[in-house]
Amino acid sequence: MRKKLFHKSVDNGFAVKNLSFSCNDGEFIGILGPSGCGKSTTLRMVAGLEKITDGDVYINDVRINDLLPKDRNIGLAFEDYALYPPLSVYDNLAFNMRAKKIGEQEIKKSIDYVAPLLRVDDLLKEKPTALSGGQKQRVNIARAIVRRPGLLLLDEPLSHLDGKMRQTLRQEIKRLHHEIKCTTIIVTHDQMEAMSLADRIVIMKDGELQQMGTPLEVYDDPANVFVAGFIGEPPMNLLPSTILRTEGRFLFSFEGSDVRIEVPQRYASIVRDGMSVILGVRPVDVLIADDSAASTAVPVAVYEDLGDERHISVRIGKSLLNLITEDDVYYQQGQIIRLLFHAERTHLFDPKTGERIRA
Amino acid sequence: MAQIELEHITKTYGDKTALDDISLCVRDNEFFVLFGPAGAGKTTLLKTIAGIEFPQKGLVRIDGKIVNHVEPLNRNISMVFENYALYPQKTVYDNIASPLRSRLHRESEEDVQKAVVKVAKMMSIEQLLDRRPGELSNGQRQRVALGRCLVRTPNVYLMDEPLAHLDAKLRHFMRSELKEMQSAFNTTTIYVTHDYTEAMSLADRVAVLNHGRFEQTGTAHEMFYLPSNEFVAKLFGEPEINLFPAELTAEGGSVRLKAFDGEVTLTPCADVVPELEKGAKKLDVGIRGNDIGFSFQQEGRDWIRGTVYANEPIGNKVVMTVEALGTKIRLVAPNNTKAELDQEVYLRFNEKNFIYFDYETQKFIVRSDMDRYLRS
Repeated sequence: MRKKLFHKSVDNGFAVKNLSFSCNDGEFIGILGPSGCGKSTTLRMVAGLEKITDGDVYINDVRINDLLPKDRNIGLAFEDYALYPPLSVYDNLAFNMRAKKIGEQEIKKSIDYVAPLLRVDDLLKEKPTALSGGQKQRVNIARAIVRRPGLLLLDEPLSHLDGKMRQTLRQEIKRLHHEIKCTTIIVTHDQMEAMSLADRIVIMKDGELQQMGTPLEVYDDPANVFVAGFIGEPPMNLLPSTILRTEGRFLFSFEGSDVRIEVPQRYASIVRDGMSVILGVRPVDVLIADDSAASTAVPVAVYEDLGDERHISVRIGKSLLNLITEDDVYYQQGQIIRLLFHAERTHLFDPKTGERIRA
Repeated sequence: MAQIELEHITKTYGDKTALDDISLCVRDNEFFVLFGPAGAGKTTLLKTIAGIEFPQKGLVRIDGKIVNHVEPLNRNISMVFENYALYPQKTVYDNIASPLRSRLHRESEEDVQKAVVKVAKMMSIEQLLDRRPGELSNGQRQRVALGRCLVRTPNVYLMDEPLAHLDAKLRHFMRSELKEMQSAFNTTTIYVTHDYTEAMSLADRVAVLNHGRFEQTGTAHEMFYLPSNEFVAKLFGEPEINLFPAELTAEGGSVRLKAFDGEVTLTPCADVVPELEKGAKKLDVGIRGNDIGFSFQQEGRDWIRGTVYANEPIGNKVVMTVEALGTKIRLVAPNNTKAELDQEVYLRFNEKNFIYFDYETQKFIVRSDMDRYLRS
């Protein structure tokens, strides 16, 4: 079992700040964040295309900082395809191997293996201009893996493609990884892409690591308010709130709203009267309750029937609190409903630092 | 406030037909959504109503009057564009105020201020009134553009994909907010989108446009549950509806459906049988991902065996693509569903939710419990 370890503490004018993470052999890692978060810079440092100011990158416990990109045994595919237009698909795939003086017979063997995996085996004679965007990206990825690199790096490979094609190729990239089990790092700004492809996700913002975990970990157990808001769609409700203590009970209160919601029992020991928090709860974890003491009566502000599910929003001060139900219910605007929060799935965050306040 | 009528509108660009004999009546005060894929002709239709595009044939009526030869600015419409089209040199306040200060309206500055502040509050941009568009985020610009559109009450609001440039999260919030404001619009709105959730959420009625023609006009509820053909069925819902061919057969007096090269026999609900027996033997059966049960063990003999091709979270649920019977079937699973690729999985269709189409024409035939879906 080979282990690949990346360790970076880098200061590229703060493009990436003191970032450390490691990934296991054969793992699929997603680096996720908004534009300008340093995710592409990180990938380029691993590839050797970007100078590292401070810190080290290891592959299989070997420090590779000083290795040239071509000596790192890495396959690379970027957002734009950068195929050689005068060359056929076959010659594009063969190009790097020919540069390395690999024999034609071996080249053909490699291409014959890789081309069907990416469904470009019927396109080998075509020129890039004859291909659709999705086909070009397939060729691009095929070229990255044709030499069977130790590590495959993908930088936003799907962002140029339209909806349907993106979905198809996303599934195919996952299947490809399942087939060749090559350690892969993908950079993306699309949380859905990271969630569906990666075994573990590295979430970055402003050059810094926010959280690393499996898709379910970052969804269910976000480390801070940024991750909570970034992961999941429709997004988590995040409501600024002040804790009130009345008659021995703690309640969430909201600016410009009479709505009060009981603080789940599990937070009783860490909240206090007057404390400011951000209350985070996903739309699927707000439930419509019958008359019960713990539920909160509010008028419906928006009712949307989206076919498979119904979205209901209530106004709490300046924010809309969204909830989703698959039950076949209908509400009119202004109708009173009673809300109940799934206590185990209600999160608190510190409004100053954004960090999670754990019970 | 006005009724908008289109009669036999045809618009061509060279030998390309953008709008092909379109007739439509949008009722007074209605929120009407024009929905369809890119290139369907939605924006051309909107611009025809606005007077920015001129049809070669047909009449446009606003409030009963033919307006084909009326200049856009005299049609008393208010439009918001996909790319916002704000004046970069003007403040947010002046951008929103601009329709009220135009030659036609020239409201007093006092009235202008009242209207701008009111709409700015509605759009939650009161604190941005002194800024210029360059200092705003995408989402804020879009609010300003909507505010400028909504600052007066014209005959009709025309909105061309106003949320399309926002990221998924902002779009979600803005859709709900737009829906919340709707009751305050007090005039006719025609809204163009290619996002079916916007159509389902916002529309009183929807028209599905494809290659310059209407595929279906009705409520979004009808589009989803009673799509007039396979094209419409595929446009509504995520993941896309599953469609597979099947043949109507009689086995010992009972009507059955043979599908997947005869490997699967399905029993249609009793209430659809009379309608099915009237038509052709060859059908397409549609079933949405929500209406397919799955299990990692074989629960019964009628469960269909397959393997997991993909297992992808789409927010609050997982879309599992299953390879079975030589095809790929998409189903919706709970958010925490874990599955290895190529793992065995068993499926069961809920026949109550089958939507039947004619195999040749791809037109809607019937579904079970029709009355329930006709209510809306």
